[in-house]
Amino acid sequence: MGKVLSVSGLRKEYPKFTLDNISFEIDEGMIMGLIGRNGAGKTTTIKSILNLIHTSAGEIQYFGKSLNEHEAEIKHQIGYAGGAVDYYKKKKIKKIISVTKTFYSDWDDEAYRKYMDLFELDEDKTPSELSEGMKVKLNLTMALSHGAKLLILDEPTSGLDPVSRDELLEVFKLLAGKGVAILFSTHITSDLDKCADSITYIRKGQLQFSGTMADYIEKCKSEGIGETLEEIMLHYEKENLHEKFA
Amino acid sequence: MKNSRKLLGKEIKLAASPLSWLFTAFALMTLIPGYPILVGSFFVCLGLFQSFQSSRENNDILYTVLLPVSKTDAVKAKYRFVVLIQMIAFAISAVITLLRLTLMTKATPYVTNPMMNANQAFLAYMLVIFALFNWLFLCGFFKTAYKFGASFILFIVVSFIVVIIGEVLHHIPGLEFLNGTDTLCDKRMWIILAAGIVFYVLVTFVSCRVAMKRFERVDM
Repeated sequence: MGKVLSVSGLRKEYPKFTLDNISFEIDEGMIMGLIGRNGAGKTTTIKSILNLIHTSAGEIQYFGKSLNEHEAEIKHQIGYAGGAVDYYKKKKIKKIISVTKTFYSDWDDEAYRKYMDLFELDEDKTPSELSEGMKVKLNLTMALSHGAKLLILDEPTSGLDPVSRDELLEVFKLLAGKGVAILFSTHITSDLDKCADSITYIRKGQLQFSGTMADYIEKCKSEGIGETLEEIMLHYEKENLHEKFA
Repeated sequence: MKNSRKLLGKEIKLAASPLSWLFTAFALMTLIPGYPILVGSFFVCLGLFQSFQSSRENNDILYTVLLPVSKTDAVKAKYRFVVLIQMIAFAISAVITLLRLTLMTKATPYVTNPMMNANQAFLAYMLVIFALFNWLFLCGFFKTAYKFGASFILFIVVSFIVVIIGEVLHHIPGLEFLNGTDTLCDKRMWIILAAGIVFYVLVTFVSCRVAMKRFERVDM
């Protein structure tokens, strides 16, 4: 399987927070969950790998190519969706699409129609008329219509009702089956139980673990930390709370 | 099609507020006698300001930087849009000014006008105000690509100082020619207009370069 994304030694300093030494890799067709509690550094990691913020150290490569040197070329092959972010709230979807498609040489109108139908999206609606789940689906449609091989999603399931969440996770599995890699951040561990192959767990800006979910659970089970991701996360984060009160 | 041209299309179709287009009509103020007509240029810039407000509300900058384009192209597109609107307003004012300088040179309301008349000096002042908008507001916006309140207030203050200077200068003995209604053949006035054009082009070009550097440093 080809490497889609490779991140090593990522570091970003803020006055009151530092993300340090984050490394992970995603293969074709893999679903990776980026987990951690609120404020752990998940969004900072995502912004770093999208070149939205300047990192102080680290190497980011997509498809074996450096992000800094091949940014425009790489952006043709990836798609991003933020959970609560919507663009041009009062413009009709078809107008947004008519502009967006001009930037992508690989835009596939047939694929666009297919995903619009699949997700039951109406292009005469505006983003402000869509529910949170539909907004995520619209962003997915846009990414998939330009042939994105990697979807980077920042908390796509937060704000969704359990049915929509389950539906979206099902979509992830279907896309992964077609070779699309997915990196999605979440603090909802049950999302990962349902669909993730691997996880990258960030705790207080540091990498706690990156690898397959089965390996991590096995390791934690043998150390008596917990038997599910939720138990493991609670173990680490609660321990932290005890330290603070001590 | 080049990215910067596609991005200009994006500015027009998605990011621009209709008010930016509508406010170019304030260039028609060029016809009004007994009024500080230079204020019309300020209103054109106020219309442009609406597009920046609309852009911010609609996450336009984030949408743009996620496209397969460079950050410098994103800055160039904003400048191109602003220049387009300013040039539409300037063209309207230039046509009216030309009419006033050819067909209405003896019109009493203009000949006895105590306020600024439309002539080449007025067009030069107009370009100075537009250049100040590009420098103070537009370039200021790209420091953060988010905050623009302070930059706009600074532009308001400075542009009104220019309006006041423009209205005062032609009352100074020896400078009355600045308010002439029949200045089509006055070389001094053409030199003033040429200076205004050079100022606009230079300030816009340099501020665009600075804005590109500033935006490169911005963390989204």
